[in-house]
Amino acid sequence: MQDRSNSRFDPTRLRQTILEMAYAGSSGHIGCAFSIVEILAVLYRNHLNYPNNDPKHPNRDYLVLSKGHGVMAQYACMRELGWLSDADFQSYFADGSKLKGLSDSRIPGLEVTSGSLGHGFSVGVGLAKGAQLKGTRQKVFALVGDGELNEGTIWEGALFAAHHRLDNLLTIVDQNGLQAMGTTDEVLALGDVAAKFQSFGFDALTVDGHDEGAIDAALVELSNRSPGRPKALVARTVKGKGVPFMENNNIWHYTRLTEHTYQDALHALRTGDL
Amino acid sequence: MRDAFSDTLVRLAKTDRSILLLTGDHGYALFDAFRRECPDQYINAGIAEQNMVGMAAGLARAGFRPFVYGLSAFIPIRVVEQIKLDVAHDDLPVIFIGDGAGFVYSHLGTSHQSTEDLACTRAIPGLAILSPADRHEVASAMQAAYDRKGPVYFRMGKADRGDVHPHPVDLPVGAPLPVRKGASGVSFLATGSMVSAANRLAENPAFDASVWSVPWIKPADADAIAAICESSRAVVVLEEHSIYGGLGSLVTEISCNCRAPKPVLRIGVADRFSDACGSYNYLLREHGLDDVTLEHSITDFLRGL
Repeated sequence: MQDRSNSRFDPTRLRQTILEMAYAGSSGHIGCAFSIVEILAVLYRNHLNYPNNDPKHPNRDYLVLSKGHGVMAQYACMRELGWLSDADFQSYFADGSKLKGLSDSRIPGLEVTSGSLGHGFSVGVGLAKGAQLKGTRQKVFALVGDGELNEGTIWEGALFAAHHRLDNLLTIVDQNGLQAMGTTDEVLALGDVAAKFQSFGFDALTVDGHDEGAIDAALVELSNRSPGRPKALVARTVKGKGVPFMENNNIWHYTRLTEHTYQDALHALRTGDL
Repeated sequence: MRDAFSDTLVRLAKTDRSILLLTGDHGYALFDAFRRECPDQYINAGIAEQNMVGMAAGLARAGFRPFVYGLSAFIPIRVVEQIKLDVAHDDLPVIFIGDGAGFVYSHLGTSHQSTEDLACTRAIPGLAILSPADRHEVASAMQAAYDRKGPVYFRMGKADRGDVHPHPVDLPVGAPLPVRKGASGVSFLATGSMVSAANRLAENPAFDASVWSVPWIKPADADAIAAICESSRAVVVLEEHSIYGGLGSLVTEISCNCRAPKPVLRIGVADRFSDACGSYNYLLREHGLDDVTLEHSITDFLRGL
C-alpha cells in the first residue's frame, strides 16, 4: 500500500481517526462517514479557503454537511487542521462531550446543524445567495446524501439556486446507494440524479467518489465552466469504503465496534486486506 | 395596522440595507411600497416555505437581517422545524411575520386559519414572540423585533379592529401594557385582535374591568403578570388562539405559582377546527369569541366565584 501518511488529509489516516472515534464513543454512522472521506479530503486540501486557517473567518468558503450523519469524517479533517484536539476525540460521546453524533453548527468549522435531512442544503443556498448579494467570491460546497434527496426541500432549494443563478453553489451528492432501511432503489428510486439536477438548471458531472484525482478534476471543471449556473457533482461512492467487511453493508450505519471488529477494521485499513 | 407594518418595514429597510424581505409568494399589495423603495432587498422565494426559512438562516449567517413573511398558517406552522433547527438553535436574527393569524381567512377554511401558532412556537428556546393589538403596537413591535437581534415570531391577526391605544406606545421587553383601569378588581388580559373586544367588554358596568394588552408572549415579564393576578380578584384571558399553549396557558402557568392563586378564565378557541365558513364575525360567533357570547361567558364565570 502506498504510504501517504505525511500528506494532509490522507484518506487512510482519516478513516483511522473515524474508527478511533467511533470505538471511543461506541457510536454508529461509520459507513456514511467512510463514503465521504475522499470528497472531504479533496475539498479541504484543494478547494476550501479559510483565511488564516480560521474556521470562523467572515470571508471563508462554506462546507455545508447537509448529510449530518457523516460528521465523523468532517471531525477527522478538522483534527488535521488543528481545529479539534486529540482530547476531543478521546472524549467522544463521553458525558459533556461537545462533539455530537450529528453536525452541530455551534462547533467552529461545522456550518449547519443537520441530521434532520434537507435542512443544511437550504441554509447553503441562503449562504450562496448572501455571497452573491455581497459580491464576494466565497463558494458554498453543500454535501448531501442520496437518501437525503428524498426530502422536498432539496428540490425547492435547487429551483431557487438555478433561478437566482447561484454559480457559487456546488452541490455534491454522496451517492452510496444506501439509506437507513435499504437501497435507494428499494426505498424511493431516484432515477438519474445528474439528469435531475441538470433538468433543474444545474451543470452536473458524475465521478468516482473515491478517486481523489477525478473528484479534484471534476470540481475544477465545474468551477470553470457554465457561469450563472449552480453545479452538482454526483459522487458514486461505497458506504463503508475502506474496510471491506463494512462496504455496502448497511449494518454499519448502526453497529457499534467491539474490540474485535475495531482491530479487524484497523488491520484492514492498514493492509487493504479483506 | 397593515400600513403601520409596511411603513415601519420600509423605514427600517431604508436605514439598514442588510434587511431582506423574503416572502413565500404572499403579500401581493402589502409590499408595494417595499418593492418600490427597496427593490434590491426583496426576495420572493416562491411557494417553498421550508427552503425559504433555511435560506433565511444562511442569509443571517452571511450577515443579513431577514424578515420572513407568510401566512401564519404556514409561517410558522409549516416550518416549525426549520425555525427550531436552522434559526433558533443558533440564535440567528431572523424575524418571522405570520400574517392573518386566527380566523382572518374566515371563508377559506382550516388550511388558512391559524390558532395553533403560539402553542407551536412558545416551546422553541430563545424564540421571542410578539402579538400586537393595533397600529401603535405594530410599529413599536416591529422596532422591538429588529432591535432584538435574535429570532422573533411576529403574529399579525385581524388588522381592522381599531386602535387600542390613543397614541404611540413603548414596548418594554416582556411587559403587559395597561389599556384601561377598572374598579371591580377583575382584570382582562388579552392579546392581538382580542384586546379591542376586551376593552369594549370592560366598559360594561357589570364588569368595569382593568384591561391589559399582552404584546409580548415571550419573553413575558412573569413578575408583572403575577402582580396583575395578585392585585385582582379574578382574571379573564382572551385570545384568538387555542386555549392550549397561548396567552391563557402563559397566564395560568404564572398565576399558579402565586402565593394566593386567583381564578382565571381562559377564553380562546376550544380544541376544534371551524365547522363552517362565513364572515370573520360569523367565525367569531362559531367559536364563542363574539361580544355577546363573551359577555355571557364572563358573566357566568364571575357569578360562579
